[in-house]
Amino acid sequence: MTESTSVTAGARGPESAQPPGGGKSRVIIRTIAMKKSYVMKEVVTEALRGVDVEILTGEFISVMGPSGSGKSTFFNMIGALDSPSEGRVFIDEVDVAQLTAEELAYLRCNKIGYIFQTYNLIHYMTALENVTTPMAFGGVTPDEARERGMELLDLVGLKDRWHHRPIEMSGGQQQRVAIARSMANRPSVLLCDEPTANLDLATGQEILDILEKTNNEKNVTIICATHDHRMMNICDRLMWIRDGRIERIARRDEVHIELGGIGDEAG
Amino acid sequence: MSGKQITVANQPRLSLRRVAGIAADGIRYRLFRCAVTVAVISVAVAFLTNTLSEGLVKRSVSAESRRRLARLHLVHNWMSRLSDPGTIESVMADAASASPGSPSYREIAALGGFAESEMAAFRKESALATGYLRFFSELDYDRRRRFVHTANGTAIFKRLSTPEGMERFIRASGEIRSVRFVSSVDDLRAFLARWPDLGKQARAVLAGRSRAIRAIAGKMGERTVLQALSSADADFGETVRKAGFVLEPEIAAALTGQASRLLVAQRLEKSAELTPVRQLVARKLNVTPMEVTSRLLWRFLRSAANARALIGLMKEGGLSITGLEPESVAALAKTRKEQQALARAERLTSDVGKGLLGVGERMGWLLSVSMLVCAVGIANAMLISVTERFREIATLKCLGALDGFIMILFVMESCVLGAAGGVLGALLGSLIGVGRALALFSFWIPGGLPYGDLFAGMGLAVISGVILAAVAAIYPSFKAARLAPMEAMRVD
Repeated sequence: MTESTSVTAGARGPESAQPPGGGKSRVIIRTIAMKKSYVMKEVVTEALRGVDVEILTGEFISVMGPSGSGKSTFFNMIGALDSPSEGRVFIDEVDVAQLTAEELAYLRCNKIGYIFQTYNLIHYMTALENVTTPMAFGGVTPDEARERGMELLDLVGLKDRWHHRPIEMSGGQQQRVAIARSMANRPSVLLCDEPTANLDLATGQEILDILEKTNNEKNVTIICATHDHRMMNICDRLMWIRDGRIERIARRDEVHIELGGIGDEAG
Repeated sequence: MSGKQITVANQPRLSLRRVAGIAADGIRYRLFRCAVTVAVISVAVAFLTNTLSEGLVKRSVSAESRRRLARLHLVHNWMSRLSDPGTIESVMADAASASPGSPSYREIAALGGFAESEMAAFRKESALATGYLRFFSELDYDRRRRFVHTANGTAIFKRLSTPEGMERFIRASGEIRSVRFVSSVDDLRAFLARWPDLGKQARAVLAGRSRAIRAIAGKMGERTVLQALSSADADFGETVRKAGFVLEPEIAAALTGQASRLLVAQRLEKSAELTPVRQLVARKLNVTPMEVTSRLLWRFLRSAANARALIGLMKEGGLSITGLEPESVAALAKTRKEQQALARAERLTSDVGKGLLGVGERMGWLLSVSMLVCAVGIANAMLISVTERFREIATLKCLGALDGFIMILFVMESCVLGAAGGVLGALLGSLIGVGRALALFSFWIPGGLPYGDLFAGMGLAVISGVILAAVAAIYPSFKAARLAPMEAMRVD
């Protein structure tokens, strides 16, 4: 892939970032020299070795990279799920490291939505209850939560299955419930960790359609880790991570020109 | 197309009612898994309550049967008191065990001719002397010989008062390390200096007793002590009081009843010497006449019809049958059965009073072991039920749950499970425990079941179940709540 480099590795990302739809976007996530290392049995594993990136509001950004590249770690950092060993993470110019536990919970509840590869629905709750749980944490009254929950289930096309438990639904349906849940408190950012990896092609496409629609209509920033090449068709920018560093960041139109080459390489 | 402004605020805390609602939902939806946890807790609590309730029933039976047997032995006590003055040692032991103001306390004071202060001092000194004597009597032969040679009873004090005896005693206490004397040697020396006076006092009481017994014997005439005691609530009671014994009216009434019953019993047992009686009993009970014992005779007499037949044979055999009614004889036979059961109950509960909660050494040990098993069982159940839900906890944290919410949620859930398991287990355990105790005492519990104790024990078991479950849930849920959400997800 390196022969088609238009943005050098080592993350000159911020300079190259172009606002996708005119000049009104702000930087919503900014990382500065973000590093993360895990200590396991006195062996230090460096998952991230200094990542600088800026992500704008309303952007749809795909993050690619082989497993073990630090992709998931990167996600946890910018999703305020984990704290970096070194460097800083700003979410809308707020330093995550400065936040208290209550403020972090507020941030996760109201500003960031999470979609996981394994859906992670609470298995003893119905679809509607799964969707309304973050609302309950956010202090929304039960009546309003039910109403909004039904709207969200309608949005993902599962309105008539609101009373079903996760176990009674297919993987695609579960993932759609998970998407509805992630949007419960109208977040500004959606973090998706391989949302289509456990699904077949057709169901994966449904999920991608919903994500695209969400991005376009609600102007939600979507950051999506994926191996799914179809994601390239809908994202604004692509980002490759390798060995804990950003290998490359490119706009979709730049990549599309070279897509043939990549396709040849892959196939 | 500008993005929404992010402002950061504190996450609101959920009301306790809301948390309880979520916990209740969780339990309802995970009913089967929770049922397993409840079952584990209830088995643990049942194990505890089983031992506890069995022990409590035994404790109550022991106390009650001892009390009843002591009352039944009243007539025997008085028979020996009125015929035998006892020894100096027994006088001192009686004085030591008499609480001030009790009948025997007053009696000793009267017989010894002591004033109030003298009697108090006598009681104190007697207690000391009895303690010393008990020390020597509990030693094995070899050690005892090394301490005091062959001296016995109060002769020990005489021996210790001589220089050689004391020297030998001190040498022996230096050599024999495994036993410790009850007081210091100085205290013993001081006591020995007072001993001649104490001995004189005890002998005075003994003499008073002998005098009283002689006075009573003069008034008894042809009657045996037992016959005399059967009129203890009338003239004979007065005689006894005049002689210097303290006999309270209600004791006298009880004595009269017991003595006359014993007399009847003796007459009935004597009837078994008649051949026709033996033949009758043998025929009815399907044994040979040779094998008829007093136990079989009493079993035979439990029916009034049998008693009537026996009384008829006694009359024919020339024995007196005055005062013998078939119904009362049958009733007497039944009370003798009860006495046997009491004696058996006392035997079965011989070790009660020691150990944990006074339920006996073996039961107490079982109780502490079952407490441990209960604690470990519950802790394990809660530990598993929390750790298997790490992923759920992590998800909840991603959705904006506060650490406190997760802690409260799990501790609350544990309390509910602990209470449910505790109640179930307490019911089950006490049912089994009481059932076992009932079977042990052949479904005859003197004084009835100790319901108060049993309910208190069950309450205790339920509370300990709840507390253990809550405490056992605190640690793993604290750990889970404190983990960064992603780290909790990584666990599986």
